[in-house]
Amino acid sequence: MKPKVTMSNVSKKYILYKKQTDKFFDLISSKKRGNTFYALRNISFRVYEGETIGIVGINGSGKSTLSNLLAQVIPPTTGSIELNGESSLIAISVGLNNHLSGIENIKLKCLMHGLSEYQIKKVTPEIIDFADIGKFIDQPVKNYSSGMKARLGFAISVHTNPDILIVDEALSVGDKTFYEKCLRKMNEFKKEGKTIFFISHSISQIRSISDRVLWLSFGKIEEFGETKTVLKNYDSFIKWFNNLSNKEKQQYKDDKLKEQLTEQRVIEGSYSEKGRKMNKQNRNKSFYLESGLLFLLSVSTGLLMFY
Amino acid sequence: MRFVLQILKEQLLHLNLILRICNYDLKSRYQMHYLGLIWEFITPAMKIIIYWVVFGLGIRGGEPINGTPYIVWLLVGLIPWLFISPSVIQGVNSVYVKINLVSKMKFPVSVLPTISVLSHAFNFLIMLVCLGIVLIILQINPGIHLLQLPYYLLCLFVFLISFTLLGSTISIIIRDFQTMLQSGMRLMFFLTPVFWDPSILAKSYPAILTFLKLNPLYYLIEGFRATFLGEIWFFNDLVYTLYFWSITLFILFVGSFLHMRFRNKFIDYL
Repeated sequence: MKPKVTMSNVSKKYILYKKQTDKFFDLISSKKRGNTFYALRNISFRVYEGETIGIVGINGSGKSTLSNLLAQVIPPTTGSIELNGESSLIAISVGLNNHLSGIENIKLKCLMHGLSEYQIKKVTPEIIDFADIGKFIDQPVKNYSSGMKARLGFAISVHTNPDILIVDEALSVGDKTFYEKCLRKMNEFKKEGKTIFFISHSISQIRSISDRVLWLSFGKIEEFGETKTVLKNYDSFIKWFNNLSNKEKQQYKDDKLKEQLTEQRVIEGSYSEKGRKMNKQNRNKSFYLESGLLFLLSVSTGLLMFY
Repeated sequence: MRFVLQILKEQLLHLNLILRICNYDLKSRYQMHYLGLIWEFITPAMKIIIYWVVFGLGIRGGEPINGTPYIVWLLVGLIPWLFISPSVIQGVNSVYVKINLVSKMKFPVSVLPTISVLSHAFNFLIMLVCLGIVLIILQINPGIHLLQLPYYLLCLFVFLISFTLLGSTISIIIRDFQTMLQSGMRLMFFLTPVFWDPSILAKSYPAILTFLKLNPLYYLIEGFRATFLGEIWFFNDLVYTLYFWSITLFILFVGSFLHMRFRNKFIDYL
């Protein structure tokens, strides 16, 4: 089997600013402002063709950050992500324009995905049929219920023919029949050798669909392996966690959060990182030279105009 | 150069996408309106009439400028202006408006300002045709100077795309830029010779006129006037042409650099 997604030592760091102006000053000065927060730290895994990966973890464990990284919505701070094919992210109501009607959203999204006019015409009835929102398709999306939004979002993303599908809790708002429909579609995808990442809090959903499960805990991989074993461990963790008193829970969370907040040495391919930095500096140098020349030229010609 | 080339490459690679989204934009802009695309004519026509009545009939008393009827003289400057002003204001805002839609998918963000500019260009081209009809009716012959129209169109598009590329990045990082630009453009309307004749100022205060000329929009507006009213060639004032291109390319260079540097982080700045 060919590897479809390879993540090596991926970390995502966020800087938490206190004020709007700090953001700006951080750009121009090298002095550090704000706290750093590692949403993900040193994530490495490999996923093959036709696999379905379930991702579990409690709130704040970095599931959505991971899905955004996989969908290439946000870049990793360090590390590398190799994707073989186009990825498409489905989360609740993302990427829908609230002021446009359902049908216009279908058209716009398809256009942005680069489908041709002919393809859009062909795929639109399929999407409408799949989303199953009846007469509401001509209404603005802002009037939709959350279930309708999720269904429309899922239907559009599924029909734009992605190689890697990332489903971020999108099915939790749908009812049983829609869930069945999605399951069928996902199994279809699986047969075609597409890779699916399935994020959910519902253990039963994960169990029924995934080949392997990735358990994230406060920005780190806790366990990655067979569905059965990981889910068993996760389940017992949840039980253990729920049995703690409120104070202990808070204590546990605080400890873990502190860990995420500390600036730790992340594993990075130091050699290649250095090389990239040098390269970047060189590139910047040529930019400064060229734009400086242009600026000088415009200033001198501007002055010349006064004579 | 690398950054500029990459931006240009992205524009060319996605030309088809740009045109299709422009087309969609145009259709959807007036979708809730009963008159639809007719508004694309009514809005500028109203503005032209207002400016003609106020400045032409009111202030100048309907007097022609250098033998050209004032309405024609005004149209030649105002039509490019009615394209420049909304393109700049909305183009600079384009990334901010669409980033939520675009960030959840792989999409070349650099084409957003271009889409914004080009979707206004449709209206501009129609207005140019209208201008041609007016010139024919009034039997004003631009003569051989009309040949420089493609050159000035090129100037116009390169400048607008460069400026909106730069501005769209700045306005994400510093939201005040957008608001500042809105009032700035209102000021620019009076500082470029859209409705007033620069030749009067040239006699009394030449230094002030040269100062106003530093504004690249001045070059564009006067360029269109020279094209249609047959005054001079663009290479008659080489220093000014050189100035315009160097400042436009400077904006393009800085714009591409900033865009490439921040495009992955746009979503973090909202």
